[in-house]
Amino acid sequence: MSALLELRSVGISFGGLRAVDQLSFSVAEGQIVGLIGPNGAGKTTVFNLITGVYRPTNGEILWQGSRITGLRPHRVAALGIRRTFQTIRLFAEMSVFENVRAGCHLGVRQHWWQGVLQLPAQRREEAELAERTHAVLRRLQLETHANDLAVSLPYGLQRRVELARTLVGEPKLVILDEPAAGLNDAESEALNETILGVRASGITVLLVEHDMNVVMKVSDHIVVLNFGRLIAEGDAVAIRDNSAVIEAYLGREDEEAAA
Amino acid sequence: MGTFVQQVFNGLTVGGIYALIALGYTMVYGVMRLINFAHGDLCILGAFIGLTLLSGAAGSGHPGVALLLLAFVLAIAVVAAAGVLLEFVAYRPLRRADRLAAVVSALGASVLIENGIMIVWGPNVHVFPSGLLPETVWHVAGAAITFVQVLIILASVVLMAALYVFVHHTKFGTAIRAAAIDQDTARLMGINVNRVIVTVFVVGPALGAIGGLFVGVYYREAYFTMGWVYGLYAFIAAILGGIGNIPGAMLGGVLLGLFNAFAAGYISSSWQDAITFALLIGILLVRPTGLLGERVAEKV
Amino acid sequence: MTVPPARGILAYRNEAIGALLWALGLALPAVLDSSWVAVAAIFAIYAITALSEDVILGRGGMFDMGHAVYFGIGAYVTAILNTEFGWPIFATLPFAILAAAAVGALLAAPLIRLRGDYLLVATIGFNAIFVLAMQNNLAGITGGSDGLTGLDVPVLFGLPLESQSAMFWLDWVALGIVMVLMRNLDRCEFGRTLRYLKQDELAATTLGVDARAAKTLAFAVGAGLAGLAGTLFAVQLSTVSPTSFVFTESVTLFAIVIVGGKGSVPGVLLGTALMFVVPQFFRQFATYRYFAFGFAMIAVMVLRPQGLWPRRIQNE
Repeated sequence: MSALLELRSVGISFGGLRAVDQLSFSVAEGQIVGLIGPNGAGKTTVFNLITGVYRPTNGEILWQGSRITGLRPHRVAALGIRRTFQTIRLFAEMSVFENVRAGCHLGVRQHWWQGVLQLPAQRREEAELAERTHAVLRRLQLETHANDLAVSLPYGLQRRVELARTLVGEPKLVILDEPAAGLNDAESEALNETILGVRASGITVLLVEHDMNVVMKVSDHIVVLNFGRLIAEGDAVAIRDNSAVIEAYLGREDEEAAA
Repeated sequence: MGTFVQQVFNGLTVGGIYALIALGYTMVYGVMRLINFAHGDLCILGAFIGLTLLSGAAGSGHPGVALLLLAFVLAIAVVAAAGVLLEFVAYRPLRRADRLAAVVSALGASVLIENGIMIVWGPNVHVFPSGLLPETVWHVAGAAITFVQVLIILASVVLMAALYVFVHHTKFGTAIRAAAIDQDTARLMGINVNRVIVTVFVVGPALGAIGGLFVGVYYREAYFTMGWVYGLYAFIAAILGGIGNIPGAMLGGVLLGLFNAFAAGYISSSWQDAITFALLIGILLVRPTGLLGERVAEKV
Repeated sequence: MTVPPARGILAYRNEAIGALLWALGLALPAVLDSSWVAVAAIFAIYAITALSEDVILGRGGMFDMGHAVYFGIGAYVTAILNTEFGWPIFATLPFAILAAAAVGALLAAPLIRLRGDYLLVATIGFNAIFVLAMQNNLAGITGGSDGLTGLDVPVLFGLPLESQSAMFWLDWVALGIVMVLMRNLDRCEFGRTLRYLKQDELAATTLGVDARAAKTLAFAVGAGLAGLAGTLFAVQLSTVSPTSFVFTESVTLFAIVIVGGKGSVPGVLLGTALMFVVPQFFRQFATYRYFAFGFAMIAVMVLRPQGLWPRRIQNE
């Protein structure tokens, strides 16, 4: 398996704070990779670095072997990388359908003047976009909510709309930032199935998640971060037994004794 | 050499006036993130109130300085009251609304005050009475410096120093700064944000009224559209220093005053304003937060 | 909350009403005297300008308070090409549109990374510089403070549009075309892209939206339409001078969009009518007219911050 995405000694500082430091890991094509770590470990920052929201202070990010360090977000998206956000970012004044259709943006071929003049080619394309959007809505069981205002839906459904918005663009890699946050047990169980289904359709997944049930069950490979540094990586079993990981999450035993 | 010193004093005088008016823009923006487009007109309202009193009393034999003080007190009182009323009627209902609604409300308030002044005082240019202040002129290094210039420069320095002490060294000043950083947190910390906003709408227009009256006394004239002219300059000064930043407004005012004075001395006057605006755009492009403003990062 | 389904009966009904009102408007010269036909003609011109401002401000969410510049460029290009070089009016039209669009794009390119109020201030600055440049007779062809006078009557297919009614029809047809274009804008990817950026720029860019390109294009399109209105304005007045494009004109256009309703064609038309036509009825109260005008601006915003006729949330 070749590395789809690779980080090489990537680091970023905010003021004096070293948020991510000398971080290297790679995501192999077709895998589900979980990125975990205690609060403030820098997980979301890593996502922002990959997607071009932040520019790393040092290090390199490689996509299928070529450098993508410092590309602006829309260029990163054009490579086939899509993401969701920890705090859901749906378009507030749009329906579920419109939100998901937004994910088609990069595939749209019409020129602005074709749209403004409503030429036949543009109208045909509009119909295609609608069809693609509805297909994804059906796949994620969102069809009945297509005309609802997206932000008026319950939390779990909003997360699913955000996921649908990434999938409709037929990405190669989907980056999910805490997809299980705020979900109940049944919902997070269903999420597991969805994530596995995403991989089954040939899409690589990188996710940050606090819900260990989700991470341990779906991840092929887990990367553990603490204070912006990599402290361990491996499969679920290896991570579960790793002393550095246990220490990072639970604190050291002598510390607890002292407290 | 004489021209140079002359321009420095001219620049400092005008700069002091710009700074006094700019403080009102910047304080309101700091706390409410609102460009109070009506501020320039409020300041000129101060000039007209002073004018009425001074014209009425001119030639009555009263000593000029006492009369001038009375004019200032009255102008400050009326303009500050108008400022508070404006906040209450036009801005308070829109605090949680779309920011553009407040912008348009402010533009409406500007039109309202400007035309209110025209209704009361008429559309013509009014001339400030002469002989109220000593006509003393000092000759320093080949430059002629008038009593009015010295008065304006000194008064501006004293007022700005007082404001600085108030904002940075009193408890209520700390509340103002806290509300400027984050209103909601300030409220949770027990700060009465409404009182902060009302204070800002008293202090800003009060300083502006003094600035407006200085405009009248210095240029010896007042007309109803003057609020736009000087308001715009003062506003540029506030941006130059970093809008929302009080020392920035002071610095911006003085720098713009000096810039204008020297531009007037050396560049064709018909292009002077264009150069000022080009400078403004240049500053915005290079350093949008102004000379003393801080960069604000968007939280993801 | 459920959004009405795409292309509902409601959407068609509103479009039908709009089309009907526009068709009825064609008959205005039959019922109005010539001075009121001129008011109607200028209403149509300002409505086009306000709709073009709406592309940038209402739909693009960019605080453009210097829109009179683009309107002015259109008017000046037509006036200069016609009076100095003798071009027929309609031959100047494409150049007026292109010149305004080019200036819009050129100014926007460096400015759009400025957020909100900073953009607003920068555009105020450009407006001031533009007016000063025209007053100072830039390159000796803008006619200084007096501007340019004596524009030709436009000739369409050998037919001179000499009467006020003919000019009104020209403006009215142009308004109709622009209204259709604005409706289409709602239904294409470009229009949607602007809405994505306005509602959540970060989310939009991570979906592949090139924010700089889309915003620059919005500026160019909005400016180009204003350039079209500028040509019509020059024709209507047969004279062009700097005072028509001062900063207060930009303020009025800005206020029309916000008072009427951002991104709403009927809202912007209503705003234009209120801010432009209604004051014409009160000409005899000149002194109090603008005082009341300012009061009305505050009142509308306080009572209806979303504008008089806001855009409905609907699928398009």
